[in-house]
Amino acid sequence: MGFPQRKAAIVGVYNTKQARILEGTPWTLALEAIQGALDDAGLKHSDIDGLSSMMYDASLTAQQMWVEQLGGRPMTYTSHGIAGALVTKAAAAIAAGLTNVVCIYFGNAGMRAGPSKQRAAQEAAPVVRKAPRVPDWDFNVHGAYMSAWYALWTRRYMDQFNAPYENLAEYPVIARYHATLNPASIMGERGEITVQDVIDSPMISSPLHRLDCSLDNDGGYAILVASAEVAKNCRKAPVWVLGGGEGIYTDFYMSFTNDWINDNGQSVRRASDIAFAGAGVTRDDIDVTGMYDCFPVTMARNIEEMGFCKVGEGHEFIKEGHLKLGGKLPTNTDGGLLSHSHCGNPSGMHVVEVVKQLRGECDARQVKDAKIGAVLSQGYAVHGVAGVAILGKD
Amino acid sequence: MTHQPYNKPLPQRLPENEEFWAGLEAREFRVPKCDDCGYWHWIPYPACRNFLSTNQTWTTTSGKGKVFSYTVVHRGPGGFRDDVPYVLAMVEFPEGPRNPIVIGTMVDVDPDAVHTGMPVKVVYEDIEGENVTIWHFAPDD
Repeated sequence: MGFPQRKAAIVGVYNTKQARILEGTPWTLALEAIQGALDDAGLKHSDIDGLSSMMYDASLTAQQMWVEQLGGRPMTYTSHGIAGALVTKAAAAIAAGLTNVVCIYFGNAGMRAGPSKQRAAQEAAPVVRKAPRVPDWDFNVHGAYMSAWYALWTRRYMDQFNAPYENLAEYPVIARYHATLNPASIMGERGEITVQDVIDSPMISSPLHRLDCSLDNDGGYAILVASAEVAKNCRKAPVWVLGGGEGIYTDFYMSFTNDWINDNGQSVRRASDIAFAGAGVTRDDIDVTGMYDCFPVTMARNIEEMGFCKVGEGHEFIKEGHLKLGGKLPTNTDGGLLSHSHCGNPSGMHVVEVVKQLRGECDARQVKDAKIGAVLSQGYAVHGVAGVAILGKD
Repeated sequence: MTHQPYNKPLPQRLPENEEFWAGLEAREFRVPKCDDCGYWHWIPYPACRNFLSTNQTWTTTSGKGKVFSYTVVHRGPGGFRDDVPYVLAMVEFPEGPRNPIVIGTMVDVDPDAVHTGMPVKVVYEDIEGENVTIWHFAPDD
């Protein structure tokens, strides 16, 4: 049995304002996003009967509270994880008759994740009486954090494939260019950058400079996936879920395989192969993509694992400009995680942007005649948690 | 700021991994080795990844390895903020099959001298008043 194509569609999407600091709480930003997505779809909150939280630590209790918030009656589907997988599983659940309208939601305020938050916390409470205890194999014990972790991966990639840093540093340049065309992006107003600007930005964790790193900001978003029956009465044309897949494996910042980068691929490869097979489309059919792009090496490995180029050639694919608007695989046209927004668990915004592209709502950054798009969401790198959704319009 | 002896995150010492923590105190880096297939495993799980065998024995490694990847951290989190620049390394142990790869900071090293493939050894740090020993890596001359 293949993937249930065109049984479910994305009918509403919404990003709140994304900014370094926003007023409100994670709850109020998620609420604003859900209301925005409902307006986009022309649906009411009481139409929602399935909930997928994008909070990494979403508890069942938190989901129950949201069920109360959204109308106070039983819902029939719940899930949590990363957006590409949640879209796929919502479509499958809808096709199976478990639910009709699934709301995927996220909000983040005042909860920045990086060293700046830890530094602020330390300055607020300068006397640390006792060393905090963390899970036994946690990388925090060794002074590691996201940028340092991805620096390790970047170094390994560069060494294994003789990949020049300058090739990878082309990715932030592309992302910033896209952001300049997206009025909602955080960094667009600062204008375009060059590879030299990336090299000249402060070193964070070698070889990664500041402009190689994701933003760390507040924001929210929501995505509504609905049955074909519901979709036909919605305000905008449906964006069909044509296929999808999920992968889960290692790299939770404690453990990794010693064939870290190999030809067999890891989670992203598995999720991608399932998604393309289910959708019945080829890599060449893809007009636009949104891929989790927390650091340049992530992008290089994404396109390799997804099958858009060979393993070890992702850095050249980036250097050749294929990901840029006008290239053969325009990607992250909103500016991505480096120049649009990284609001905590931002993978849903890659879905939002691809949906807007397929609807033709992207103005200056519109990909002409975009009909089929691919979304890749990730946690914990291409080896870790992956979700792929293949989307298409009529 | 009031000086404190150690304000960085420390690992929980759980009973099921006591052989490991006791090993660090004895200056040994022990990992589970499968009695059935001979694989060495990191991180530890109660069963071997190969055939789910629970016939594993905490076995002392050589304590030596080679740098698999590394970074020089210039912006450190929390208690590491004043340590910059410091070297964070992934080290591949020679014990195979399935050579363990372990993450740790490097000490007694010039950051500019670190390179992939560099021979290193495990070194140990007893944390005063905290009932735990942690590991680092140092050049193995």
